[in-house]
Amino acid sequence: MESLSLLMEGFSQALTPMNLLWVVIGAVLGTAVGVLPGLGSAMAVALLLPITFSLEPTAAFIMFAGVYFGGLFGDSTSGILLNTPGNSSAIASTFEGHRMALDGRAAKALATAAMGAFIGGLIATTVVVFFAPVLVKMATAFGPAEYFALAVFAFLAISSVVSDSVVKGLMSLGLGLVLALVGVDGPSGTARYTLGMPELFDGMSIVVITVGLLALGEVLHIASRIHRDETAVRVESKGRPRLDLSDIRRAMPAWLRGTAFGVPFGVIPAGGSEVPTFMAYGLEKKLAARNGDTDFGTTGSIRGVAAPEAAANATAGTAMGALLALGLPTSATAAIMLAAFQQYGMQPGPLLFERSGPMVWTLLASLFIGLVILLVLNMQFAVLWAKLLLIPRHYLYAGITVLSVLGVYAISSSIVDLWILLGVGLLGFMMRRYKFPLAPVLIAVILGPLAETELRRALTVSQGDLSILIDSPVTIVLYGLLAITLVITGIQHLRHSKTARSQALKFDTDKLGV
Amino acid sequence: MKTTDNASASLAEQSNDEYSVRITGFWSGRSELIVPALVFILAGFLTYGTATMKVMGTSVPGPQFFPTIVCVLLFLMAIIHTIQILRTRRFPHEDSEGQNADFSTDLLSDLADTENEAIYVPTARPSVTGKRKAYSDWKTLGMVAGAVAAFILALPVLGWILSAAGLFWVVCRALGSKRPLFDLSVAILFSSAIQLAFNAGLGLNLPSGFLEGLI
Repeated sequence: MESLSLLMEGFSQALTPMNLLWVVIGAVLGTAVGVLPGLGSAMAVALLLPITFSLEPTAAFIMFAGVYFGGLFGDSTSGILLNTPGNSSAIASTFEGHRMALDGRAAKALATAAMGAFIGGLIATTVVVFFAPVLVKMATAFGPAEYFALAVFAFLAISSVVSDSVVKGLMSLGLGLVLALVGVDGPSGTARYTLGMPELFDGMSIVVITVGLLALGEVLHIASRIHRDETAVRVESKGRPRLDLSDIRRAMPAWLRGTAFGVPFGVIPAGGSEVPTFMAYGLEKKLAARNGDTDFGTTGSIRGVAAPEAAANATAGTAMGALLALGLPTSATAAIMLAAFQQYGMQPGPLLFERSGPMVWTLLASLFIGLVILLVLNMQFAVLWAKLLLIPRHYLYAGITVLSVLGVYAISSSIVDLWILLGVGLLGFMMRRYKFPLAPVLIAVILGPLAETELRRALTVSQGDLSILIDSPVTIVLYGLLAITLVITGIQHLRHSKTARSQALKFDTDKLGV
Repeated sequence: MKTTDNASASLAEQSNDEYSVRITGFWSGRSELIVPALVFILAGFLTYGTATMKVMGTSVPGPQFFPTIVCVLLFLMAIIHTIQILRTRRFPHEDSEGQNADFSTDLLSDLADTENEAIYVPTARPSVTGKRKAYSDWKTLGMVAGAVAAFILALPVLGWILSAAGLFWVVCRALGSKRPLFDLSVAILFSSAIQLAFNAGLGLNLPSGFLEGLI
C-alpha cells in the first residue's frame, strides 16, 4: 500500500495548473504526430528534447508522457479513415477499422479505438504502480553479468527475432554500435574514432542520431517517393464518435483480452506493440470464426478494433514500468525516453526510485492524467484530428526539416552536429530504401555503451574468465529463452524464405528468358 | 542480355502482383550492393582505428575489446549480405512501400493468422505503360539534401531567419508546391516565429548573421 500513498503524492504534484498544461501540450502533440503517417512519438520526443532542455525535468517528463501515449491514440485515426496506419502499432486495428469506416461506421470505429487505448493504458499503468517496486527490488540484485545479458537479449530480440531479415537486422545493430563507440572511452580515457576532432570527444549526441534517422531520414525518403506514389483516398467520418451500451458490451471482452496480451509484452524487449497487437487481432479473428461472427473480415468487427488498440497501449504502459524500474528499453520509443532521462543526468533503473522518487511518482501520476485527457481529446475531436491529414504534405515535411535542424542546432550551437545530422539522415534514407530496420540502430546507440561497460566490468572482476557471464540463474534463464526464440525464428525464417526464394528464382529466370 | 519490356508489361497485365521490371545488366536488382560496400568501408575504418588506437590506462579488457567484436559482426554480416544479393536480385516493390522493416511481415501474419492477406494494402496502382522511372526520385531527394547542406553553410553568414526560410521554401518547392510567393511568406513567418520564441521565450540564441543589430 506504500505505492498508493506515493502515487497520491505524485498526483498532488502533477495536478498543479502548470503541470496540467504540460500534460495537455504533450497529449496534443502526441496525438498529432500519431495521426500523421510516418511520424511517431519517438521522433516527437527527440525533436522536443533540445527545446525542453531549459525546462525543469519533471515538467519535461510530464509532457513526454503525454506524447508517449498520444502517439498510440492518434495512429489508429489515419488507419481507420485512410487505411494508412499512422504507425506500425496501428496496422492490426486498421484491418477491421477501415472496413468499419467503409461500412459507414467510421465514428464508431474511432470511438472503439480511443476507448480501447484508454482501457489498455489504464490497466497497464495500474499494474506498473503495484509491480514497479517489486521489479526494483529484483533489479537491485543484478550485477554486471545480468545487465549485459539483458542488453544482449534486447539487441538480438529486436534485431533478429522480430525484424524482417536477420542479416539486415544485425547490420543495423552493428551500425548503431559503431555510432555509440565514437568518442572518449569512459573507463580508460582513450579517444576512439574521433578523427582527432575535439567536437567528437563527447561522442555523437543521441538527439542528433534520432532526429537524423527518424525525422530527416523520413523527409528524404518521402522526397524520393512523393512524385511516384499516389495519395490515399480518405473516407469521410460523419457524426460524433459515440458508443452505445450494446457496443460497449460487445467490445468489453475484446478490450480486456487485448490488454492481457499487451501487459506482459511491455517488459519483453520485442520492439514494442506490433507483436502483441497482431496476437490480439489473431485471437479475435479465431473467436469470431468459432462464434460464427459474420462482421469479421466483411463489414468490420468492433472487436477487431478494440483488442489490438487495447494491446498497443497496454504494452506502452508496462514498457514504461520496465524502463523506470530496470532501465531496459523494450521499444524504440522507450529507448528515446531512456535517452531523455540520460540528457537530464538521470539513469533509469533501481536507483532512480531512490534518488528521484518524487519525480518518478509524479511521472506515473501524469500517465494516468494523460490517459484521461487523451480519451477526451480523441473521443470528442477525432474528426478534427483527421483534418490534420489535410495539411499539404510539402508544408508538413518542410516544417519537419526546419524543426530537425533547429533541434540539433539548439543542443550545442554546433555546425559539426548539423553535418552529422545530414549524414545520419542520408543513412536513414538508404536504410529505408533497402528496407533495413531502424529500431536496432536506436537500441544499439542507447544500450551499446551500457553493454560495453557491463561486459568489461564483469570480465575485469573475473579476470578474463568468460564463464562469469553465464554464472547466475538470471543469466542462464535469459540466454536460454533467447536461444529458444532464436531457434524458433530460424525455423520460421527458413520456411518462409524457401517459398519466397522459389518464387523469386522462377521470376528471375522468366525475366532473363533462360 | 535482352531487355524484356514487352514481356514484363504483359506480365504486369496478367497478374496484378508484378510490376514492369527490366533486367538490363549486372546491376539490375543489385543496387543494394552499395550497402555492404559501405559497411565494408566502415568496418575497415573501424579495424584501422582499433589497431592504431592510442590506448590509455591498463584496464583489461581495454577499449579495443568491444570494437573488435563489432568489427567481426560487421564483416561477417556484410559478406553474408553480399552473397544474398548476388544470389537473388531484389526489386523494390511498390506494394511494400511504407512497410516497416522493423517487423517481419511473415512473423506478424503468422501471429494474426492472416496467412497471405496483404498486411499493407496498396492504395493505388502505379502505371505499367511507358518507360519505367527509377524507383527513387533522385532529383527531389537531391534538392532536399542539397537544401539542408546549403542551410548549414549559410547559417553562420545569413543568420537563422533567412537561411531557415530558404530551407523551408526549397523543400516546399521540391515536394511539389505550386505557390512560390505564398510559400515564401509562410517560410519567413515560420522562421521568424521560431527566432522570436527561442530568443524571447526559451533564452536560447539563434544566430542573426549579418542582420545582427538590425533586429
